[in-house]
Amino acid sequence: MKPRSREGKPWPMTSVVVVLFILLGILTARLVYLQLIRGEYYSELAARNRIRSVAIPAPRGVVTDRFGLVLADNEPAFTVSLIHSEFDTVNRELLADLLSLPEGEMEERFAAAERSPYRAIVVKDDLELEAVIPVADNMYRLPGVILSVTPRRRYRMGETFCHLIGYVSLADSAARYQGELAGVTGLERILNDRLSGTPGYVREVVDAYGRVVDTFGDPSESVPVPGRDVALTVDAELQAYADSIISGTGNPGAAVVLDWSTGELLCLASEPGFDPNLFIEGLSSDDWNAILDNPQKPLLNRAWGTCHPPGSTFKIVTAAWILEEGLVPSPDYMPDPCYGSVSYGGNVFRCWGTHGRINILEALAVSCDSYFYRVVQNGNMDNLAKMARSMGMGARVTGLLPGEASGVVPDRDYMNSRYGPGGWGQGNLLNLSIGQGELLASPLQMAVVSGLVASMGDMPPLSLIVGEDPCGVKLAPPISPDNLAVIDQALRAAVTRRGGTLFSAMHDSPLPFRAKSGTAETYAGLDHAWVCGYLPRPAPLAYAVFVEYGGSGGVVAGPLARAIVEKAVERLYPDAVW
Amino acid sequence: MPSGDRPDFLMAGALAALLFLGLMTVYSAVPEEGMFYHQLWMVAVGFVMMLAAYNFPLRLLEELYPFIYLPVMVLLILTILYGRGPAGRWLVIGPLHLQVSEFAKLAVILVSARWMPGMKTESSRWSTPLFLAGVFLLVMLTAVQPDLGTAVAMGMIILGMLYWAGFGFRWIFLFVSPFLAALSSIGFGWWLLFTVMLCAVLYRDRAPTWKWVFITTFNTTVAALTPVAWNLLRPYQRTRLTTFLNPAADPQGAGWNVIQSEVAVGAGRFYGQGFLQGTQKTLAYLPARHTDFIFSVYAEEFGFLGSMLLLGLFLLLIWRILLAARRSMNPFNSILVAGIAFYFIIHLFVNIGMAIGIMPVTGLPLPLMTYGGSHVITEMIMVGLAMNAARNWRSW
Repeated sequence: MKPRSREGKPWPMTSVVVVLFILLGILTARLVYLQLIRGEYYSELAARNRIRSVAIPAPRGVVTDRFGLVLADNEPAFTVSLIHSEFDTVNRELLADLLSLPEGEMEERFAAAERSPYRAIVVKDDLELEAVIPVADNMYRLPGVILSVTPRRRYRMGETFCHLIGYVSLADSAARYQGELAGVTGLERILNDRLSGTPGYVREVVDAYGRVVDTFGDPSESVPVPGRDVALTVDAELQAYADSIISGTGNPGAAVVLDWSTGELLCLASEPGFDPNLFIEGLSSDDWNAILDNPQKPLLNRAWGTCHPPGSTFKIVTAAWILEEGLVPSPDYMPDPCYGSVSYGGNVFRCWGTHGRINILEALAVSCDSYFYRVVQNGNMDNLAKMARSMGMGARVTGLLPGEASGVVPDRDYMNSRYGPGGWGQGNLLNLSIGQGELLASPLQMAVVSGLVASMGDMPPLSLIVGEDPCGVKLAPPISPDNLAVIDQALRAAVTRRGGTLFSAMHDSPLPFRAKSGTAETYAGLDHAWVCGYLPRPAPLAYAVFVEYGGSGGVVAGPLARAIVEKAVERLYPDAVW
Repeated sequence: MPSGDRPDFLMAGALAALLFLGLMTVYSAVPEEGMFYHQLWMVAVGFVMMLAAYNFPLRLLEELYPFIYLPVMVLLILTILYGRGPAGRWLVIGPLHLQVSEFAKLAVILVSARWMPGMKTESSRWSTPLFLAGVFLLVMLTAVQPDLGTAVAMGMIILGMLYWAGFGFRWIFLFVSPFLAALSSIGFGWWLLFTVMLCAVLYRDRAPTWKWVFITTFNTTVAALTPVAWNLLRPYQRTRLTTFLNPAADPQGAGWNVIQSEVAVGAGRFYGQGFLQGTQKTLAYLPARHTDFIFSVYAEEFGFLGSMLLLGLFLLLIWRILLAARRSMNPFNSILVAGIAFYFIIHLFVNIGMAIGIMPVTGLPLPLMTYGGSHVITEMIMVGLAMNAARNWRSW
């Protein structure tokens, strides 16, 4: 064998050229595929090789009670979210598997992600470290999936403060960064701007596959600013105690305690409650249905969010009006006796008992209806309404409390618009005078009424947050000190006099209770039990206790109020002596 | 020796156009402007060397091969001992950063071209084994740098040259049988098939007994030792091999570069983003964008149209080199120039194939384009030699 040229054979040009063309053909075919067939796809990928801003969540402010007891704080948790446009749906099952998400939930999250293909949609949040490790290990296979650390909200006394503090959930707004929490109810919602702080940002250079290549700029410029802490004036232990006392009745109810010398709200208990942490962890439909179907309606906040006829507790207001308006010549005046009922305008207005000839002091103490029926007959409904409003009824008493109800204080305009002119009569005023009829008030409002009487009409506006301006409105009822002294005497008599509506509940308490009971009739046939009142200095507390369908105010609500207020004195004014 | 024809202007034109495109792309891709001027200098040096190669008497070159072979081997050994740079492949002598393996490719081609024509004709008993040992030494010294890609490329070039020189497929089969033996070690069935083929070739060749014994023993040993050697491979080399087999398996590692490169190439679409307008090079998405993956930058900026132009220019260059090889009367000239053609074919296919995800990531440069002096100078010398041979095709 010899080299070809020496044997006269040509060099093997042809086969080499064939190979060359095959190789160039392969390159060309691949370039056709990449640049022409898939060109659009790759340009899109290239366009997404960009800088993205990633939020560093700011921890929400911590909520404490007046003694610094933590009610709501944060703990770290992990969030897995998804940008649908960057996600390869082939990986859907893999992701569901890694997160052990049930099929239905995965479907739902994907549907949500598909609707907003360019936003990061949370697939699952509040994951423990162990739960995200499988995802973290597979991140490189899951472009479009984002793993982030977010502070998770924890409610330490969830059930007790579910209404006041409320709960947070993922912010559902394009203006919010992904994974940001926003208050949904309660103070979490009202104080959201204060609690949420300012998130920091890192500018990440991300490539088409979601891999972080680099960071941009000076990271110290965009450090998150934590939310401001909030200390409530509330005493958490007192409120928890009130909760337990009310739940002992088996009925829904509420208890409000405030310090009438400072206006600080000390207890805003509402029973029953729910665990707001359930909403954080992701509420199952069973949990949600259990809350919705609970006949006691735990979502309702009965301390300031719902209103009921105040019943005889309203007689405090009526009495103040009677005295100021001069409907009786003097506090000692005794109208015709109570025979158990009063006829007026062809209707019979019943009293709950037969009280004989009594003055206003005894009428309040034994809660005689007839006295008021007789005395208010010549009164003007508008003036009663004016007095009620001056004491905080018919309008919100704070600008802060979430979902605060204003209640109803009917006047003539109200009656005209509701029943039409002539559709109602002076008889309605008789009903209103004993806290029935169209009148509606919240326990908070009745506590404010009591506080105003206790402070001789000079209670500071309500406040809920330590170290901040009061959130309430300044109330100045036009009642003379003499008349207030009469009411004070009467409310004391309700406790100390045999036959007083709260004698059996409170007379043996070492505390000088002032109290007015109320048994509000309802269309349901069952009565709401009310009691409100106050203590004089040196334990300047005003209170209102409400038991829904509880029955007699004096019998049912009285002992609860006594227990709660005694606890309040023990915790807040332990050195008080009278 | 007739002084020959006119210079091959087509070959020179293709070279000039490719160098121009290469410099443009380097300008667009390099992180700092100084590197562009460095590359410009290297092309200037390469031009001088090319002129020298163009005018150097090829007869003299044929006899001077030891003066090329020995210095290159010394430099390769020095590189292994004192190599610097990212993979220890640079030999730094004062201001010079030499990538010796690039020059070694030319040395391998020269030595092969010198010996191949005589291997079967003038076969003194020792010439063939000596040639094989000498070339094998260069390839091995390159492989252990470690520069596996270049070593494999050298082997491919040698195979091409063997084919060009008239060695049949059976010869080539025996030549590559150790590598096939290594590959066959992945499974007993493959090994059995390989061994049967080996025996068939030996039988057909009417090989003497000593050849039978030597070749079968050697190949069996290689097959047995390959799994051991696999474990001795550097992890990144193993990764490169496995990534080649399944690039999607490791998108974070080596396959990552390829994916990013595909994105850049694809983003060029038909017309490209325009010169200096490539988006992917700016944000560090394209790794090694001015070296291994310079084609990605070019393809994104000049699109499918530009890619076809580039392939067309390479086709023209290689075609002219092959023509020069075919016309050459002298076997040394012909095989040398054919080796140069194979150099361009293999590097072109491997480098672009890598950038578009059909070949493994080997670190072979794109001829005349990739940033770096050593390979550009080597390639310009090669083209100079090819033009030299084309002009003197009648010389014997």
